[in-house]
Amino acid sequence: MSTDNRNSANEEAAKETFDEFRSSFSYGSRTDLLFKFLKSGSEQLADDFLTEILDLTGDLIDNGDTAPIVEAIVRAQSEAYSGPGNFEYDSKPFAILDQPVSESKIALLTTTGHFAHGDDPKPFGMDGLTQEQVVKMTSEFGKADPVLSEIPTTTSANETMVRHGGYDIRATAADRNVSLPIDRMNELADEGVIGEFVSPAYSFVGLASQLRLRKEIAPAWAAKAKAGGAQAAVLIPI
Amino acid sequence: MCHVSVGHVARAFEEAGIPSVVIMSKVFKDRTAAMNPARILLTPHPMGRPLSAPFDVEKQREVLKAGLNLLETATDGGTVVEYDQPYRTGPFVDQPDRR
Repeated sequence: MSTDNRNSANEEAAKETFDEFRSSFSYGSRTDLLFKFLKSGSEQLADDFLTEILDLTGDLIDNGDTAPIVEAIVRAQSEAYSGPGNFEYDSKPFAILDQPVSESKIALLTTTGHFAHGDDPKPFGMDGLTQEQVVKMTSEFGKADPVLSEIPTTTSANETMVRHGGYDIRATAADRNVSLPIDRMNELADEGVIGEFVSPAYSFVGLASQLRLRKEIAPAWAAKAKAGGAQAAVLIPI
Repeated sequence: MCHVSVGHVARAFEEAGIPSVVIMSKVFKDRTAAMNPARILLTPHPMGRPLSAPFDVEKQREVLKAGLNLLETATDGGTVVEYDQPYRTGPFVDQPDRR
């Protein structure tokens, strides 16, 4: 084989396919958790989405309108994640609120991976894991029991930490109220819109083993919330 | 998987007698709705931003109030309501670098 032919063969072997390219955004060489759906959906969806985003970016630099880009992202994410998951239930448990919201003690629980500074939930016994580290540990989290963090509702934004390997945390790291609306719930309590904001607020990493969560852990958390006085709950997944 | 976890938590809360409302991006509607939590409010927001863009305080309040309203108005399990006002991008007046 001539040198030219060998170089050509090496280039061919190194050439990345579009399928490899789109998959690399999901825990690969181009990890971007806002766009990891490029792997979850079809190759055609990824192709259409990227083409549309480039076209819309051309409009954006002329008119400054971000709305079409947001809509394109939501539309593509919705399509990529469409269809039921592994858990479908026919029964519809339903508790009735016994008093108006304005007289109710309301708890907040999120799957966002927030915790109070100095109270690291220490997944796998490891203190001080970084966001970059947990992004590389998603398969371990998916098999493990979730740990519930208790965040006093007086906790300041500066004392509120977030770490979660399953989603793009940039927005909630900038403003926790994007997904852990402690400030807004405190305001609504002060204004009498809700009777009381139950402290602490709760958060866990929703990327977790589901079987024990369903059978034991979630019922235990509900009992804990009830013992803490909760008469209703706002639940926010990410 | 967060949208499955919240389905299990919501069902446990209802079974314990605590009415709950799930406030979430509509991106994961199919997965959570299939689990029949009692009440879901869907926002037209990208993944990771269920209530709003950062510092859109007005939107955060609106979405929360819409969710709280469902606690009073829903009459059956599996109620799904869409919050249809669009996601807004900043900067907003409460954004730290604009104070």
